[in-house]
Amino acid sequence: MSESLSFAGIEPPSPTLSARLGELADFFAAPTAGRLTDEQRALSLGIARRLVADVAARIDPAIDSAALWADWLLRGIPDAARLVGVCFARAEEHRWRALSAERMVPAPLAGAADEASGAASDAPMTARERAYLGLRIADRRRLDAYGQPKLAIADVDEDIFRVLLHEVAAWRLAEVSIDTGRAASLGDAVRHAVERQADEGGMTAAAIAYHEAVGTALPETARMAIAAHDWPALIALAAAAQRRRYADMALSLLTAETAALPSLLAPLRLDRDALALLEASLAMLPARAVNDADGAAPEAGR
Amino acid sequence: MSERIVRGRVDRSGALVSADVPLLRLQQRAGAGLGKPLALPHLARLVALSQRLHREINRPLHAADDHSDIHALVRVIPDDEGVSIEISDWRARAVAQPGMPPVAEETALADGWAWECDQQLRLVALRAAGRAPAVPPGWEGRSLSELFELQPDVDGRFAVLRALARQSRFGGQNVRAAGMAMTLGGDALFDAAGRFTGFRGFAAATGAPPAATPKDGGVLVDPAFGSLPLSDPKFGRRIDGALRGPLSRIIATAETISGQFEGPIRADYARYAGDIAHAGRHLLGLVDDLADLQNIERPGFKAARDDIDLGDLARRAVGLLGMKAEEKGIRISAPSADDRMPATGEFRRVLQVLLNLLGNAIRYSPEDSQIWLRVDREGDRAMVTVADQGQGIDAEQQAVVFEKFERLGRTDSGGSGLGLYIARRLARAMDGDLTVDSAPGQGARFTLSLPARDED
Repeated sequence: MSESLSFAGIEPPSPTLSARLGELADFFAAPTAGRLTDEQRALSLGIARRLVADVAARIDPAIDSAALWADWLLRGIPDAARLVGVCFARAEEHRWRALSAERMVPAPLAGAADEASGAASDAPMTARERAYLGLRIADRRRLDAYGQPKLAIADVDEDIFRVLLHEVAAWRLAEVSIDTGRAASLGDAVRHAVERQADEGGMTAAAIAYHEAVGTALPETARMAIAAHDWPALIALAAAAQRRRYADMALSLLTAETAALPSLLAPLRLDRDALALLEASLAMLPARAVNDADGAAPEAGR
Repeated sequence: MSERIVRGRVDRSGALVSADVPLLRLQQRAGAGLGKPLALPHLARLVALSQRLHREINRPLHAADDHSDIHALVRVIPDDEGVSIEISDWRARAVAQPGMPPVAEETALADGWAWECDQQLRLVALRAAGRAPAVPPGWEGRSLSELFELQPDVDGRFAVLRALARQSRFGGQNVRAAGMAMTLGGDALFDAAGRFTGFRGFAAATGAPPAATPKDGGVLVDPAFGSLPLSDPKFGRRIDGALRGPLSRIIATAETISGQFEGPIRADYARYAGDIAHAGRHLLGLVDDLADLQNIERPGFKAARDDIDLGDLARRAVGLLGMKAEEKGIRISAPSADDRMPATGEFRRVLQVLLNLLGNAIRYSPEDSQIWLRVDREGDRAMVTVADQGQGIDAEQQAVVFEKFERLGRTDSGGSGLGLYIARRLARAMDGDLTVDSAPGQGARFTLSLPARDED
């Protein structure tokens, strides 16, 4: 976009000017389209930064990922067109879950004793419990130690991962090119990282396992997930039921118009009450990338 | 999900004509009843929206009475005669629920492992934070007590097991893991249906910098506050969480009443409500100030070093408070658009300082007076000055004006007495300073100076 822009009287345009004009041109092309909020931009960028750091650590833990990121911020982030999709999907899912948790009201503690005695049980796990535990573990891999959202390597599309590996390796090569031994080992590190990713199961694999373990109890399990605001479980069941990737389903759900929810979640055979609760939760999320027909959804920050 | 549906009916004029007991009780506690306009502002807005759009609306409902907050899901179905209301998933929470700070906040302050387990104490997350050693492999799904060797306290008890029985937060559980001595703390987790789902917490390596841990075993001692627990970060966060929600509700409700959005009321009642909203905003400002105070007095507090333009920030501050000045007929002379003063400092913090200075100037200036904002540079210092035509500050007062809770003998509800203290602390955290130059009857000149920046 920026290369095609020219501005009479200013030659050559500065990168900042080009970026601003590019942004303005995008705006002119679709003036009424909703734009990214600062929160969405910051969350997505943070997710990308943590992904790049994780990819770099897979190649060589000695890579200074802060310097790498600073360099890429100046030059532009590689494979940005594809990277934005996964980062945005993860950011939107995080916003939804954070908002949902913020508004969550713990029920009275009546009945807690029963739950506690259940918690202390030493009974072996059922297949369904084991699958749910796997899903929870895969889900929590998508947060860093400080609770910030990230993408687990296992959840990243193979092509995007490979491109990032090559770009990080190329950046590293420029740094260690005088050390021929270390430069040669980069290629091996990339190959090893690709093989390792292929062996890892992320949210999509965990979702399939959970969906299979749930079996015929799918509608009830999905309904309970909605009642508990257990959105990862709901997205996982919906994704597996339609043989889609977790991230794709998350983005579809988060950008779906209200009227589209029943068909999107049809395989889960949800009743009207469950759908209404889901609709209400989604409606509370500000600045969703969707056109709400009634105009009642908040567009700006809270 | 609760199966119970609470129903009600509102006619075309907005009056509640029938209601199940919980809804009717809420309406009565709000001072109305059957045949009266719906007195629950949030629900009334949804009803009005549904009538206007002629379509069914499903939304979360938040309502409050004198002793509880109500959270529910409401369905509003319009027809020719009015609307039908169906409320499900009705949950009530006592207003006085303490806002316990999440243990996770401490992870930013220490070296250790962030962890989470399910209700059976099986680990679902384990990550190293700060400079902590890497987590051991194969932790996934293992029992918390298997990975962390629990040490009993002096009474021979285990805090984590007691917390499991009570489904409550815990702290101070001594453990050993991977050859390290650690202290374990965690928050109990619940889902939206109220089911206990496990714990999330932090295992701090013993001997890590005790940034969040009071050295005297109870409360950090502050020279100004003595042993008042205000200095304790946890106390501060708890106060913040416990006050902000109720205060916001009070302000919103008082403004709704004061603005007579739900229909006309007696003028003196509207004024009382306006007074309540004003007092509520003052208290909320105090909570904000206390939260700021907590933050800037935290050991190691650092402000960011952004490239900023003091001229631009001064104009932004004027833009934000210009209306307030106009209400008193005060004219503000701001730096012109091409008046640039490059400096280094944290953008939002500098704006916060300028808003405080300009807000004070407006508050203490006489009507129909003038305020000036000027930018200047002296050597390596970039400066912005806010000058007013108020009554001024004598030399004795200048010596204390930047002290905590110092209001120079004023007793009005204008401020908390923390603003200038916070502003100077912020200025100094950015390698700058905040000074005052004034004399009685000659107004006051507050000058914020920051490191100047040379532009290419």
